[in-house]
Amino acid sequence: MSDASPDTPRDDDSLLAAEYVLRLLDPAEEAAVAARIAREPALAEEVAGWTTRLSGLDAEVPEVAPGAAVKTALLRRLFGQPARLPFWQRAGLWQGISLASLAVAGFFAFQSLEQFAPPAPAPLFVSEIVAEDQSLRLLAVYDSGAAELRLTRTAGTAAAGRVLELWAIAGEAAPVSLGVLPEGETVALPLPEALRGAVAGLVLAVSDEPPGGSPTGAPTGAVLAVGQVSAL
Amino acid sequence: MATTQDIEDLIARVALGDRAAFSALYDATSAKLFGVVLRVLADRASAEDVVQDAYMKIWRHAGRYSANGLSPMTWMITIARNTAIDRLRQTRPGVALDDVADHLTAPGPNPEQSAVAAGEARRIAACLDALDSDKGAAVRGAYLEGQSYADLAERFKVPLNTMRTWLRRSLQSLQECMAR
Repeated sequence: MSDASPDTPRDDDSLLAAEYVLRLLDPAEEAAVAARIAREPALAEEVAGWTTRLSGLDAEVPEVAPGAAVKTALLRRLFGQPARLPFWQRAGLWQGISLASLAVAGFFAFQSLEQFAPPAPAPLFVSEIVAEDQSLRLLAVYDSGAAELRLTRTAGTAAAGRVLELWAIAGEAAPVSLGVLPEGETVALPLPEALRGAVAGLVLAVSDEPPGGSPTGAPTGAVLAVGQVSAL
Repeated sequence: MATTQDIEDLIARVALGDRAAFSALYDATSAKLFGVVLRVLADRASAEDVVQDAYMKIWRHAGRYSANGLSPMTWMITIARNTAIDRLRQTRPGVALDDVADHLTAPGPNPEQSAVAAGEARRIAACLDALDSDKGAAVRGAYLEGQSYADLAERFKVPLNTMRTWLRRSLQSLQECMAR
């Protein structure tokens, strides 16, 4: 350790380094120190030393969580689009789904099942796949006996020259395509075997895709509507 | 709670362009960095903007963080704090922070010096409290709130040069106290 004399160049540089770390210097002085740091390892060490010493004060600053939108905006600025979020979370549609709408869905489920087929003893599951602005709505009913998902579109169509593709997402897994929705109002789609065991809690989503469906096997267009499957 | 080693590992992965690691690094550290930035700027909207700028610098500079003698949190907090102070003094031309970050990661101290400084860091609060209360408050004002000599001179109602002499003496006492 040095002695405490303020006149030795070493101590002077040490104080200059402290002032630099504290951002006390004016811009011209700051630039001069920065230029010296690049050439003088001893000064760079002083700066790093003071940075560490003063970091002891970081403990006095309480942590404050930034709003969730900050991370989304940051990832968009860096990577051009929200990264690493499951695409149905990205759509941010979900929160609009109320228990009431599920109850309504359940009611329609019985109604439509009676039209489709005799009541099945196997467990039933329903989902209302709905756009945030209600511009697209589908009711999905899964009959575990038939391993078939029956869909009734009650509002909305694909954009001109585009198609709607239905996806199923189990937990954190990648979306699995259940197929392109035909133009008619109702359709029955088989559910892939791997998904049959985890129907309750499955997320269904509809995305906007080019004719023929997503060329990549993953959603490529906007996610228009989302719904969660519940046991009836 | 992520350990120092966890954060170092995440920074190493971020240096390779790993976006998931960057997301995890943000989750593990953003509350601290945002707290630091908010303390300097005292305005939530600009702090949210600045904390994004800071993480963009962390993304770009992660490759240069490696055993530079600073702990990973200290390195990130330094970037955040400097970005906040740059914003505070936006009207003044200053040194670009990218330069500051580069210099900090250039020829770092040797491990022994780092260990000594880290030990001293633990004593800083006690040593500041041992100073006259105004002097301790001035050092805290500079570090935690980004106050310049001019700001401090105004706050303590002393001429600028007096403030400078005063603070330099305080820093010297501080260094002696911490080295003890």
